[in-house]
Amino acid sequence: MGRLVTQPLVWFVIISLSIFGLDNLIPEGRDEIFVSAAQKDRIALLWKTQTGKDASIQELDSLVKNWIEEEVLFRQALRLGLDQDDSIVRRRLVQKLGFIAEAQMGPEPEYAELESYYSQNILDYTLPLRYSFRQLYFLDQATANAQVSQAKLGNNISSSGTTSMLNDSYAFRSELDIDATFGSGFSLKLNGLPVGEWQGPIESSFGYHLIYLTSIHAEEAAPLKSVLDSVGSDYQQFQKLNARQRYVDALLDDYLIRYEEL
Amino acid sequence: MTRFLSLILIVSISASCSDNTSDPLVQQSSELALKATDTAAETPAARTAGYNEERNAYFGDLHVHTMYSFDAFIFGTTSSPSDAYTFAKGGKITHPAGFDMQLDVPLDFYGVTDHAFYLGVLREMANPLSEISKHEVAAGMSTLGGAIQRGEKFNEILAFLRSPRANEVNDPVIGKSAWQDIIATANRHNDPGNFTTFIGYEYTATYSDGGNLHRNVIYRDDVAPELPFSRLDSANPEDLWDWMDANRERGFESLAIPHNSNGSNGSMFMMTDFSGNPLDGAYADQRMRNEPLVEITQVKGTSDTHPALSPNDEWADFEIMPFQVASFRSSQPNGSYVREAYLNGLKNEEENGANPYKFGIIGSSDTHNATYAGDEDDYWSKVGLRDSDGVRRGSVPLREPRAPGENYAETYFNTWSASGLAGVWAEENTRASIFDSFRRKETFGTSGTRMRVRFFAGYDLPLIDDNDLITKAYENGVAMGSDLLASAGKEPEFIAWVSRDPNSAALQRLQIIKGWMEDGEAMEEVYDVACSDGGSVDPITHRCPDNGAQVNLDDCSITRGLGAAELRANWKDPDYDVSQNAFYYVRAMENPTCRWSTWDAIRAGVEPRPDMAATLQERAWSSPIWITPVR
Repeated sequence: MGRLVTQPLVWFVIISLSIFGLDNLIPEGRDEIFVSAAQKDRIALLWKTQTGKDASIQELDSLVKNWIEEEVLFRQALRLGLDQDDSIVRRRLVQKLGFIAEAQMGPEPEYAELESYYSQNILDYTLPLRYSFRQLYFLDQATANAQVSQAKLGNNISSSGTTSMLNDSYAFRSELDIDATFGSGFSLKLNGLPVGEWQGPIESSFGYHLIYLTSIHAEEAAPLKSVLDSVGSDYQQFQKLNARQRYVDALLDDYLIRYEEL
Repeated sequence: MTRFLSLILIVSISASCSDNTSDPLVQQSSELALKATDTAAETPAARTAGYNEERNAYFGDLHVHTMYSFDAFIFGTTSSPSDAYTFAKGGKITHPAGFDMQLDVPLDFYGVTDHAFYLGVLREMANPLSEISKHEVAAGMSTLGGAIQRGEKFNEILAFLRSPRANEVNDPVIGKSAWQDIIATANRHNDPGNFTTFIGYEYTATYSDGGNLHRNVIYRDDVAPELPFSRLDSANPEDLWDWMDANRERGFESLAIPHNSNGSNGSMFMMTDFSGNPLDGAYADQRMRNEPLVEITQVKGTSDTHPALSPNDEWADFEIMPFQVASFRSSQPNGSYVREAYLNGLKNEEENGANPYKFGIIGSSDTHNATYAGDEDDYWSKVGLRDSDGVRRGSVPLREPRAPGENYAETYFNTWSASGLAGVWAEENTRASIFDSFRRKETFGTSGTRMRVRFFAGYDLPLIDDNDLITKAYENGVAMGSDLLASAGKEPEFIAWVSRDPNSAALQRLQIIKGWMEDGEAMEEVYDVACSDGGSVDPITHRCPDNGAQVNLDDCSITRGLGAAELRANWKDPDYDVSQNAFYYVRAMENPTCRWSTWDAIRAGVEPRPDMAATLQERAWSSPIWITPVR
């Protein structure tokens, strides 16, 4: 410690610190209002957002002049302490911070947090029962019957049927999808059909169909890895809903609250 | 050792002397303005599972209001954009009147489009902790009661917003916060391949006489400008287009979709621009660049055509709303309907060399409940508590007549519809693919059911029973929304195709509507091109026979065994003239079904209102194909 005191560098630092501190304490002479290029840009952008047009040179000059006058009044108001004990100002600042706190993205969540959120909300990431199948469409039942008989005899019927806007095949369609496409109740008729052979005719709002189930996909939770992005954004939304409170709680940690004893 | 210590001292001193911009919170507050990212222009994303090069039909609604709209919140809508998207995906949410709302069939895409006009302000007024709730005009907002009280408060606030003092409540912080929530929510709910959301808002300009000039601005990607351009910025849509053009340069691709031309009193499709100048090439380019689509049908009526404009179209009287928006003043038909606008577009091309009215067609709802309600038998109209039941909607009589002979509420809600849907043909259910279909105008609109229509024009098109019909049609022809060049010595061929909504009524007829210029005059003709139940089109009248489908007004049951699952035609224009400027678009119609007002009456145990249509024929309209003549 003694050695330090003899070092010129240490004294240099101490003196410069003092000068720096004194400088901050001594009131300045003429105040400076610095209109930075960024500030000018911000003023021009605000104008453009509000009017859709670029400000002309005169307009921009006038806007900057307005801003300077506002700044002068603003600083004077602060000097006069007009912001103290003004409940409207207080409320407004709190409100602004509230908006900012809500918009603030929390730190990147840990994988463990996402895992936990995913498990607690597993239903949101559960895929329903789905079917993959081929279909053939017929206007009348008799033709459909004839074709399915042909199929059961081992003949290839894939070029039979009438063309329609329906697809030849559908993959991973939920019961909701299938009812939306073929009419409500159609998905129930697929229930219990065997996989790997032409079945039917099954009636829909369109007419008659032969269905060839290629696979049935049971209800299952999508693996976390495949829905990681969704879980992440859902978790962030969940956090945002509590954002204001957590922000306040974090700030409170920095304060010691004391109450006046009565 | 001392050198090390001095280094630490200097570094720690300089660190502590820096200003507070290292506070991440402050940094972010200055970054809250959303900037264009490069993601839109980056490498194309991997294709989603449903990708189909020949395109699938997707259905959606691009006109949805939530709690952030000034005229939704005040009538009881507290649903957020997140609730809206949850509903569109098939979730259940609650109407302000207390009943549940849920779709039987989820939608493929949805765009929340709240009013930019005082976005979020009325909601914030009802928050007793907010600063704006202390303003005198916000009195009572947090304790609003029933529909009548809300209507009065709404009128009071609207009058204030139109007064010189309006600026007192125009708080950009509220608007920005709401807009950012809208954007973030859309991005959160966007699920490529399964469900697409679009960032958007409604711009509510009106013409000098009050005629409706509203249009919805829809963004392509996951980013949008800092604040939406509202009527407070300018009431001239041409200024909106300038703003959209400038934003496109900054990386915010968007388009605007006008609606309710029916209520525009002729202003939506004027033959001059906003300032009264002729519609020249520059105007047409800018309008078409920014507005490739028009919303032809929604809750506030259908704007295809009007009986006064199309006296020879037996179905022209479909869901006509004769009033200007939100009033009982009448709206003149000329300049207010899509078909006439198409004709006037051709006329303008002949006179001024440019066609500013070559837009494609979609439908949407304009719900102010966050929830699309396009089913006639499950209809809750659109304005929260104001029209939440049959009595308020004017379909069920009042408990006591308000005057001798006036048994129904005095309202224009009875002219409203359970409509409509936007249909697109896109390779996959993603923002990029669907937005591309908007730009291409390969879109169609429906009055609320999921009919799918295909339309092609070309030379050497395949026959309709061809196994590779769509592949060959795309190869040899052009799809809806496109232009086809006339070819001397050749006649264009058309393919029209409609497939029914499996959960609605069967199809009755398929039509092609033609409009053309002949000796300087606009002409139109409706051609039936395919009939259900084995009927053939009469070659002279161009009409299918009536298939006799009827509706039982006691229980809304419909005739069984009538109507088709699909209708298709190869068609040639019997009156084709290679020198004529012409457009053609498809209209397909279902068998008649009960209108929502009849359902209301049946459920209330009363007779349907005599001066309202008891039934309707749900329909779809494709975007047109324009034939550019040989000169």
